This record gives sequence, C-alpha cells and structure tokens, in this order.
Amino acid sequence: MPKNGSAGHRNNAPRKRQTPAVQLDEKIPIVQAFRNYSNELTMKHDRHERIVKLSRDITIESKRIIFLLHSIDSRKQNKEKVLEEARQRLTKLIEVNFRAVALELRDQDVYQFRAAYSPGLQEFIEAYTYMEYLCYEDGEGENGTKSVSDWQAIQAVMQYVEESSKPKEEPTDGEELEVVALAEEEIPKKFQFFVDPTEYILGLSDLTGELMRRCVNSLGSGDTDTCLETCKTLQHFYTGYISLNCQRARELWRKITTMRQSVLKAENVCYNVKVRGGEAAKWGATFDQKPAEDVDEGFY
Amino acid sequence: MSNFVNLDIFSNYQKYIDNEQELRENIRIVVREIEHLAKEAQIKLQIIHSDLSQISGACGLARKQIEACAEKYQKLAGLVPAGQYYRYSDHWTYITQRLIFLIALVIYLEAGFLVTRETVAEMLGLKTSQAEGFHLDVEDYLLGILQLASELSRFATNSVTMGDYERPLNISHFIGDLNTGFRLLNLKNDGLRKRFDALKYDVKKIEEVVYDVSIRGLSTKEKDQQEEQAAPVPE
Repeated sequence: MPKNGSAGHRNNAPRKRQTPAVQLDEKIPIVQAFRNYSNELTMKHDRHERIVKLSRDITIESKRIIFLLHSIDSRKQNKEKVLEEARQRLTKLIEVNFRAVALELRDQDVYQFRAAYSPGLQEFIEAYTYMEYLCYEDGEGENGTKSVSDWQAIQAVMQYVEESSKPKEEPTDGEELEVVALAEEEIPKKFQFFVDPTEYILGLSDLTGELMRRCVNSLGSGDTDTCLETCKTLQHFYTGYISLNCQRARELWRKITTMRQSVLKAENVCYNVKVRGGEAAKWGATFDQKPAEDVDEGFY
Repeated sequence: MSNFVNLDIFSNYQKYIDNEQELRENIRIVVREIEHLAKEAQIKLQIIHSDLSQISGACGLARKQIEACAEKYQKLAGLVPAGQYYRYSDHWTYITQRLIFLIALVIYLEAGFLVTRETVAEMLGLKTSQAEGFHLDVEDYLLGILQLASELSRFATNSVTMGDYERPLNISHFIGDLNTGFRLLNLKNDGLRKRFDALKYDVKKIEEVVYDVSIRGLSTKEKDQQEEQAAPVPE
C-alpha cells in the first residue's frame, strides 16, 4: 500500500521534503488508528465491488434467458428445445455465478451487501419463475401440478458444498497431524446463497411483465388460448400482490402499480380475443401458412 | 386444474413482513430511549460554549448519560438476530453517530486526544468486529468524528470570545491531525465522502481563528516567541 496517496504522483517534487513528512505522520496516533480504519473500509468496498460485478453478470445472463424464452412460438414448435437450453443456462447461473456470490457473502452480514446483489437476484428470479411458468403451461400431465417456486424452494437449489481445494499435503510432520487434517477435510463445509423473501417477492413481481408480453405476443401468433391462460395467471398474481399489506415498501408499491398496467393490457387483449375472436382466428390461420423464419422479429 | 400462482406465498410473506414490522417497532422504542439520553448529554455539553470553567463538570454529567446508553445498546443487541445487523441498522446509525460525537467531544475536552473506535465501542458496550456480534460500524465512527470537527470549530471561536487564546491553537493542531487521518481513507462516492468534504470548511474556520489570534499577538505563546525573537536584536 502506498504510504500516501499523492506521493506516487509527485515524483518531480523535491524528495527530501516529502520523506520526513511521511515519517512524521506515522508517529501521530491518529494516523496509526486511521490506517486500520482505512483497511477495513477498503476491504468492505472491494467486496462490495466484486459482488456488484458478479451481480451484473447475473443480470445480463438472466435478461438473455428471458429473451430466449420469449422466442418460444407455437408455430415454430421450438418450445422443448428452448426450455432445455434455458434450463441449462439457469443451472449454470446457480452453479457458477450464485456460488461465487455466496462465497463472497460467506460469514458476512448478507444485508450489508444487499444493494450489491439485489438487481441480479431479482432478475434471476424473474427468469427462473418465467421458465417454471412455461414448463407449467404445457406440462399439465405428468409434472404439471407444480406451481411457482417460493423463496424456500429457490433457496433449496442454492446450497453449495465447499470444494476441497487443497490438494494432498506433502507429508511433513508426523502421521497423526495428517490424519487430523484429513478428518477435517472429510466433512465438506456447506454454504448457501441466502434468498431474502423481500427480494424474491420483488423479483416475482417482475414476472408479471413477462407474462403480459407473452399474452400480447401470443395474440400476434394467433394462439388465443395462451392469451386467456396468461391473463388468468396475471390476475391471480395481482390478487396475491394487492393482498399484501406492508408499510415502508416503496419499491414494492411501485412494482404493483406497474403490474396493474400489465394486467390491464392483458385483459384488453383477452377482450379483443373474445370480441373479434373469429376474425383473429382466420387472420391467424392465413398467417400460419407463411414461412416462420421471417416472423422472428418483434420478439424482444 | 392446479393454479400456477400459489397464494400461500403471499400469506407466508405477509407473516414474514409482520414479524419484521414488529421487531422494527421494538427496536424503535429502544432507539428512542437512546435518543433521549443522547439529547440530555448534548444539552449538558452546550455549556462549554459559554463558560469554560464548567467544562469538566459538563463532561462528568455527559458521561453519566452516555454510560446509561450502554445498557440500552445491550437491549438492542438482544433484539437484533445474529447476522442481521445491517437489516435494521438504519434505525440506530444516526443516533450512534451522535453518541460517538459526544463521546469524542468529552474525551477531547478531558484529555485532548482523539478517542479510538475501540474505546467508543467499549463505552457503549459494543463489539468492534462484525463477527463478534452487535458492533460499532467503522463508518458510523468516522461520521461521528466528523461531527466533532464541526463542533470544535465552533468551540474555537467561542473560546476566543471567552478570552482563552491558547485553545484554538490546540484545536487547530488536533483538527490538522484529524484531517491527515481522513486523507488516508479510500473513500467511495458515498455519504462519508460528502461529509468528509465538509471537513475542510471546519479546518478553514479554525485556521482563521488562529490567524486572528496570532496576528494580534493575543496568544501568550505567540507573544513569548515574538519577545524571544525581538530580544536578541534590540538595536
């Protein structure tokens, strides 16, 4: 660590004046104490920055997964493939990215760094639950009874075991020491990523935006059943959210307002389906005959 | 058909929120008690700006109030679950900073040095490291110390008014050291940084007072120096 922030930059300043000044500083008790505070602050800031970086990666990947999931189109019959890819990418996020965040947060007060990881976590929950919704949509037969995961369920998939990173130690002291060391390694240390219920609820509320999009996009592809289905789910969500009663939750309140807009949009879509249902079906049918490739646009 | 939206999630979350609210309510009660004690201590210490002879008495009274806070912090520590300090810390950061400032002021008035974080923590019955439990946050400590700088610049002015010309020199020296200390910190663009930026105005204010005192030769130390200088070259 540099002795003095400015010392490095002022190389052309006369050296003789600089050096004794720094030495003098060291004798002041305040300076000694502040060095400790400085270290502590820097450590905290660094950790915060590292988590922010990790969180940003999670956000980007989650957004991409959501984008991918929106490319599901009943006319293209690509649902299985897309879902499979999304599932793999989400698993990778859990196994790699969240693991890294969990490692940073280990033995820390998770609430201290909440602002650092919150955006990534919320976006991830949105992507994860959206995938679950799409699975639920068509899987009513075998495993379709599964409804959306709650925070405990997501928490449950974010359990990690410490890798025994230490390679075998070279035999140094007596045998006994080694046995003790091995025994300690035997029990893998567990850690987890803590999913805060509030973050979960906020992340889940973003799902409604995706459902609204799906509802509108399905109208575009003439899949009116999906429109009605998503709209119903949206209404259920909205009911759930307005049942919550909590003070000092400005963020949640803002999201509920957005949610209301989404619900209204979806309901309007359903209204149109009912009123001009016949026309849309016909129109959709003619549309269906076109090659699917060039309707790729518009899904974003 | 089963429903994708499991309404249990919302009722569970409601329970979770209700528990949190209740705990916050309890925390607020204790914090209010601490606020009351801190206010008393602060009032007691106001006398330093108008009567220098009562300083040690005021410090003693303030100390009593501060000591009473330790018990309250004990209560707080019992309320906050382990590892959730920062979930609720917004309730007490403000008052803790105020108390740190008061402690630092008392210690400065009594002994003339900057109280360390460890000492403050000990006086309030808090831990110094996060791992040990309910602790004294380093940023809170630093913010409290910055409040001390403002108060001392006021005190420097008033001690001159009351005819004590030595004190501003000591204060100036002390604040100079403090400034050096703060320059060692790598500050982010946050609240602490903003508050630190205001420190230079306190420094400036005190330097102005010292200048005024020196230029008029009001300080005896200055006078002595001048006489010494003047003596060898009489003619």
